[in-house]
Amino acid sequence: MDHNQIIKDVNDIFIDVLDNEDIKLTTATTAIDIDEWDSLNHIQLVVAIEKHFKVKFNTTEIQGWKNVGEMCSAIEKRVNQ
Amino acid sequence: MIEGDKFNHSFTVSQNVYSGFIDVFNDRNPLHTDSNWATANGFKGKVMHGNILNGFISFFVGECLPVKNVIIYTQHIRFSQPVYLDDALDFSAEITGVFESVNTYEFKFTFRNKEEKRVAYGTIQIGLLT
Repeated sequence: MDHNQIIKDVNDIFIDVLDNEDIKLTTATTAIDIDEWDSLNHIQLVVAIEKHFKVKFNTTEIQGWKNVGEMCSAIEKRVNQ
Repeated sequence: MIEGDKFNHSFTVSQNVYSGFIDVFNDRNPLHTDSNWATANGFKGKVMHGNILNGFISFFVGECLPVKNVIIYTQHIRFSQPVYLDDALDFSAEITGVFESVNTYEFKFTFRNKEEKRVAYGTIQIGLLT
């Protein structure tokens, strides 16, 4: 699975979980850029991502993500392992 | 707690539970309070408020799990059969997902009455507070 497809899938997950059709993620997007991306919804996003991509992360990994780009890179690395 | 762990508990929709729910939330819709109205509409008697079962789920999460540092994130329930006063319900739940990265657990649950009919079912997602 390539990086563009992962970003597209992650974008769809954000739209669904945060119930906001207007979300258009870029690699630079952070929680500051999206009102609905609060700490509780972050949990829902991680759960949805782990289910969708059939991967598991640990707490240290997800705390290290500074933006959507780092999140998608981590997913890509794990999916293509 | 690991995926596949199962939990069971018995609940009864007693007069105390029913009256307490009405006292607190004041839902006196005739479906729940008027036996004649309920039977005229196809039920065997007064139908208990579905959200009483959500209270039982609250008890399950808060008191029946082997940990106390819990918080409910989401809860989805479907009501498939009516529940009547004094019905005893067997509640069963199973952990169907563990998300260690965010200390989150998902359960599927079912309530069955004494005729073993499934009266409600759904999912619960909880987090462990660290």
